[in-house]
Amino acid sequence: MSTLVRFGNAVGALAIVGTLLAAFVFQFALHELPCPLCMLQRVALALCGVGYVLNLRLGSQPMHYGLILLSALFGLAASGRHLALHILPGDKGFGSPVLGLHLYTWTLLFFLATIAGVAVLLLLQTSERAERWIGHRPERHAAGTLSRLVCWLLILVVLGNAVASFVQCGPIECSDNPTSYWLLRR
Amino acid sequence: MTALIFLLVGIAMILALRGQRALGMGLFAIAFVLSAMWLAHHMTDPLTLSF
Repeated sequence: MSTLVRFGNAVGALAIVGTLLAAFVFQFALHELPCPLCMLQRVALALCGVGYVLNLRLGSQPMHYGLILLSALFGLAASGRHLALHILPGDKGFGSPVLGLHLYTWTLLFFLATIAGVAVLLLLQTSERAERWIGHRPERHAAGTLSRLVCWLLILVVLGNAVASFVQCGPIECSDNPTSYWLLRR
Repeated sequence: MTALIFLLVGIAMILALRGQRALGMGLFAIAFVLSAMWLAHHMTDPLTLSF
């Protein structure tokens, strides 16, 4: 995998880490608890991360990009639905806006950017595909220290979301407009 | 439910990092289907939009 493609995948993974951490800031510092659709947008971000981890660990392959694209489309569906719920004039939206846009709008833009980014990364790896056409098996890459660190950061943030989600919603369902944590009410 | 989905995704990532692609992708598939079902479950409010 070329350095540029590897760098692109690491940037994609880091962008997900940053976005999920920013969501934690809103949740824990500003006390804005995520709604079920917000949670599903976080899930879509985490799902995109699986494709990036596979690319960083096993080498960049179209199948891994397929996972990222499917996840980004799922994220577009969730954030688009959320946006449509608050699109009418006069609706104040859900949560605080950041730079004039609500978080679900930023998330929708993020998934569009992800799809565009994956398209660029696919264009960049023409040479690797040519190598496969002449009979080489794609080599397994030992992830570099930096790639490994990015992957573990991503895993930690995703598992942190699992814990936060359980504390807020419990094992079954989140409230539509959450105001407190399920585990702390018990 | 979302806690379970995040957990599945986290385990899928750990398996991917250990080089076990088939298992990781299997868990991804389960998490993806569960997420799609959960999204459908939450898409209940009618939209006041006409196209």
